Amino acid sequence: MRSKRFEYLDQRPVNQDGYALDWPEVGFIAMNSPFDPTPSIKIVDGEVVEMDGKCKEDFDMLDAFIAKYAINLDFAEEAMAKDSLEIARMLVDINVNRSECLKYTTAVTPAKLVEIVGNLNVLECMMGITKMRCRLKPANQCHVTNVKDNMIQIAADAAEAAVRGFAEMETTVGIVRYAPFNALAIMLGANVGRPGILTQCAVEEATELDLGMRGYTAYAETVSVYGTEDVFMDGDDTPWSKAFLASCYASRGVKMRFTSGTGSEVQMGMAEGKSMLYLEARCLGVTRGAGVQGTQNGSVSCIGVPAAVPGGIRAVACENLIAGMLDLENASSNDQTFTHSDLRRVARSIPQFIPGTDYICSGYSATPNYDNMFAGSNWDADDYDDWVIIQRDLKVDAGLVPATEDEVVAARNKAARAIQAIFRELGLPEITDEEVEAGTYARGSQDMPDRDVVADLKAATEMLERGVTGLDFVKALYKAGFEDVAESVFNIQKAKVVGDYLHTASMLDDKFHVISAVNSPNCYEGPMTGYQISPELWDKLSRIRTAVDPSKIN
Amino acid sequence: MVDQELLVRQIMQEVLKNMQGSAAQEACECEEKVTVADYPIGEKKPELIKSASGKSLDELTLEGVIDGSLTAKDFRITKETLELQAQVAESAGRGFFAVNLRRAGELIPVPDERLLEIYNALRPYRSTKAELYAIGDELINEYGATVSGNFVKEAADIYEKRGRLKK
Repeated sequence: MRSKRFEYLDQRPVNQDGYALDWPEVGFIAMNSPFDPTPSIKIVDGEVVEMDGKCKEDFDMLDAFIAKYAINLDFAEEAMAKDSLEIARMLVDINVNRSECLKYTTAVTPAKLVEIVGNLNVLECMMGITKMRCRLKPANQCHVTNVKDNMIQIAADAAEAAVRGFAEMETTVGIVRYAPFNALAIMLGANVGRPGILTQCAVEEATELDLGMRGYTAYAETVSVYGTEDVFMDGDDTPWSKAFLASCYASRGVKMRFTSGTGSEVQMGMAEGKSMLYLEARCLGVTRGAGVQGTQNGSVSCIGVPAAVPGGIRAVACENLIAGMLDLENASSNDQTFTHSDLRRVARSIPQFIPGTDYICSGYSATPNYDNMFAGSNWDADDYDDWVIIQRDLKVDAGLVPATEDEVVAARNKAARAIQAIFRELGLPEITDEEVEAGTYARGSQDMPDRDVVADLKAATEMLERGVTGLDFVKALYKAGFEDVAESVFNIQKAKVVGDYLHTASMLDDKFHVISAVNSPNCYEGPMTGYQISPELWDKLSRIRTAVDPSKIN
Repeated sequence: MVDQELLVRQIMQEVLKNMQGSAAQEACECEEKVTVADYPIGEKKPELIKSASGKSLDELTLEGVIDGSLTAKDFRITKETLELQAQVAESAGRGFFAVNLRRAGELIPVPDERLLEIYNALRPYRSTKAELYAIGDELINEYGATVSGNFVKEAADIYEKRGRLKK
């Protein structure tokens, strides 16, 4: 006979998820694996001849790259000699500031980084993130996609997301050839909602660079690195090709960050028997060695892997912390769907939501989950009120603000009209008034009329062939009477000439002032220091749309 | 004592001579370096920035785009600007990031299409060692991209060692 209690529990969403015990021999372990290398470094005449127990002769590509480019060798021997527990304690000690911590954490090997954070419980990890985050103010990023690649909806969803507070937005495609339209739609829509939002379009590496060069995007993020040589090869890159690619972006004035995360290697069955976190520390070493300003990490699209093993979500918090310890901007995932349980998906986000990261989600789905083309997100448009209410409950700024129906509808409508107009000016397939209206009021692509996909794709390809650039977007918007949006898109292009926004953890405010770790560095040193929510913002965060004013109740 | 001073002078002369190959870098070396205090440069020291076509920031106007007097090449970043940003990065304690910005500065004259081709050639199993060395030489000799050129050659050596060259 079955227990009725257990029968009921079996049906709970949390029991629809998959779980496993550790299997450290193959790398199916989040962190603290008995098979992770012991930290070591030997430097002869300024060259690393041994790292983490491996001699120079045995270095694979990643070892060779990290040993040569990623470690501050001037201080390495001293930093490596310091007890890992002592460095771990520095990370949570309010009397040791960020710069002092960085002196040590940027001069150690991947195995040492993992050993350091291996001493921290998840609360201490969050305290570390609070201090080691690069930028003073946390922010948030969203995904704007849909299953139809409908550009009117992308523009409208982006405009709404901007009103709701996102500082950065990412789109991708269902059909690759839609990329130019999606990139145009998100840039336009985002800047209708709030001038100065940075946008990107995640596609294959070379195509993504091409879009950046043409001025269709403001930054790039889908530049993946992996923790073992075999997986790197499988990803069709090397540390050298990726570092070269990083420089290509900067040479065109385009901001970029790398992407990596725990679990990708073991998912491919090529983890070399190392823990997920150790391999991620190697990815971050490659990122730092390439001279890239930041990383999108936190397991990202492999979240199901660490989440399946004990302590996996703690390990994900640790990888975000290591990003900060290497002085890298951190867009901290909280993206791909991994659980059926609402409780579990909230718990997964606590370690980034509460301390705040440079971009807490990367991203939060600005659509219902069925429209998210990154295989769903842990948070989506249906959770907008949940997010701002949790912010209000805990008095946390996690990057969003409450928005009213009127503001949202107005922003969506303007974005839909703007994309209708720019399509007309650029000689692209017509966007009808009916589509504008649908985009204004839609929840998702199920509310959008179908388009002639063949005609759209033909026009998108022709647009690239014609050599239409970001400046042509500016002209077309201006001519169509959207002078303010034209000016915003113009200012984004101008930012690439100046290069201020290439710096660590940058974002642009609505006047196109750069806010980054250079002019707005995190200065947390204990209570009442670091980022504080201003009284004006707190008033705004408090005014969720369903709150009543008790003084007006009779 | 005197001899040593002479020696230093001679060395300095040699160094300066070698630097003349790169006019941009020379100009920056001679001027005072910018720091975190000058950032954002676009707001605090806009006069230091010119676009690739020689336009000052004041000249990059919305009106210019609308009337067609400004084109895409007026909106390209220069090696000099990336050098300034590298100096800011260094002064913020981000030396590795500065290296990337300087490597990027060297790549500015490489046409978009060629840059994409070189990136693809650097991917695993795409090129022979000789092909990568030829790219390295091209970067150095045609574009003065010494750091990147040597970086590509270094990749060739590592790819050879690790069996990642074209088979």
